[in-house]
Amino acid sequence: MGCEIVSVSADTQFVHLAWQREEKDLANVKFHMASDRNGDLARQFGIWNNGFTLRGTYLVAPDGKLMSAEVNFLNLGRNIDETLRKFKANVYLGKHSAEGCPAKWKDEGDKTLKPGPGMVGRVHEAMQK
Amino acid sequence: MNEVTTIQVGQTVPDFTLTTYEPTTNGFGTYSLAEARKNGKWTLLFFYPADYTFV
Repeated sequence: MGCEIVSVSADTQFVHLAWQREEKDLANVKFHMASDRNGDLARQFGIWNNGFTLRGTYLVAPDGKLMSAEVNFLNLGRNIDETLRKFKANVYLGKHSAEGCPAKWKDEGDKTLKPGPGMVGRVHEAMQK
Repeated sequence: MNEVTTIQVGQTVPDFTLTTYEPTTNGFGTYSLAEARKNGKWTLLFFYPADYTFV
């Protein structure tokens, strides 16, 4: 769907292999499992934490621009539906730059907002239309 | 202490290349942001603390 998924930790590619083979929940993994051995990339995102990478999720557009960033502490997992929602919204907004995707926007066809003078103080009404 | 500038949303991510394990081919490879950009692809970077922990 036009997006390369890359999982990243400071482990080597060899440990990635061993882990993916052993852990049943990873049996269907199709994404790239990358090794940021010295934390160089994690440092650039500010998520290098004593040899571990915090749970950072970053969406990079085809032009290289960082469009979305989310960081959780070590012990909180992420919701993949929300990550997918952000990806779809970014793709949509790339084609419809004058619009905005509200919090409950999930997929193409859902209600968007077109910010302008008429909407100032009238977001509630705009959402009802 | 080295001064480290953190990439902010809206800024361009500098090109990088990481060594990878590729489960689809059972082989090792590399992931290059420059390559993805050249192919018009989005990149989702999904960091987690370590292998053998829950994601």
